[in-house]
Amino acid sequence: MNDEENEIVKCKKYWNPYVGGIVLGTLLFLTFAIAAQGFGASGTFARATAQFLVDQDKSWLSNAYIANYFKHSDSALTNWTVIETFGILIGGFISAVLAGRFVFSPDKAASYSLTGRYFWAFTGGMVVAVASRLARGCTSGQGLDGMATFSVGAWIFMFATFAGALLLSPLFKKQWVEQNQPRHEATVEEATHE
Amino acid sequence: MNDLILPLYKNGFLSSEANFFFALIMGITFGFALERTGFTRSKHIAGTFYFTNMAVPKIMGTTVITAATWFVIFSWFGWIDISQLFTPATYIWPYVVGGLMFGAGMVMAGYCPGTAVAGVGTGKTDALVFLLGVVVGMFVYFVIYPSISHFANSSNMGVLKLQDLFGGNEYTSYILTVILETGIILFMMLLHKLSKTGKTA
Repeated sequence: MNDEENEIVKCKKYWNPYVGGIVLGTLLFLTFAIAAQGFGASGTFARATAQFLVDQDKSWLSNAYIANYFKHSDSALTNWTVIETFGILIGGFISAVLAGRFVFSPDKAASYSLTGRYFWAFTGGMVVAVASRLARGCTSGQGLDGMATFSVGAWIFMFATFAGALLLSPLFKKQWVEQNQPRHEATVEEATHE
Repeated sequence: MNDLILPLYKNGFLSSEANFFFALIMGITFGFALERTGFTRSKHIAGTFYFTNMAVPKIMGTTVITAATWFVIFSWFGWIDISQLFTPATYIWPYVVGGLMFGAGMVMAGYCPGTAVAGVGTGKTDALVFLLGVVVGMFVYFVIYPSISHFANSSNMGVLKLQDLFGGNEYTSYILTVILETGIILFMMLLHKLSKTGKTA
């Protein structure tokens, strides 16, 4: 019995994707209706990194990008998205505990090495960070928020993101797709999601 | 008759402190929903790019359609001022290059920043490693920013909405958005079917 099967037996099922989308979309609307902005995440890490650097050495304030985060406040962390990001962490934790899904483990195809997984998680994180600064946001702050408010830029970003992922996908197939029983895997994924 | 017009914060119905309080609350609900939909699993997210898991396009498409539907209904009744909602400006070439890089990073890591934060909350160790990479990547960007700032701020179109490009108004943009998102979901489901028959053959 593999992990995926175990999960179905012991844990709650994931929500139907359309139901999940209606819930997420309503939350996104409420967020806009309250705060005039949508969900975000990448900005938090840019701000945290900027704050850390400035705490070490004030001369980092001469960097034009970092200085921008200190224009309205003495702290780069006094920011709506930063606080919301803490909420995302707490919400993920609460949900996982209640669903019986909280467990310290990485996610990958069973046969893929752990070192390889962590190497690509880290490298991918670096690439995503640089990309999120060029794109003024990530799949939340730029993609979801922008598409929901009819922004042309969000569509450019999302199509480019999908193209970039598809172009490199053959190189990373072993990390994500089970090699031994591809058909079985497909059945399990269907069961967890539909 | 309508004194109360959304968004609350922009129209002075909410103090900064209260707005920050709601930031935490909305973040918690967002993280909760991300976990419940399986968005905290890098394998589920990356599965999109191999057409083995169709949850991501279905959820994202439905999320956008749902949020936009609420906007249009509330705007129709004059309860919300859509022009007050924050939308990033469109920088064409930085978004093309940024998007291609973002996608490359996502197929390596299986996460984007928001899903990784929720993932860390569920104990995913690869999500934590991803976020360490994000911090280092931010540092790299700050260091290289002076030499790429010209490109990063190029082709700025300002806030550019679908109706500015295709004509019409926010209602025609809404219809276009629903068509695009529905089309993407159907197209992805078709590719999913084709990839499965490919395996059997």
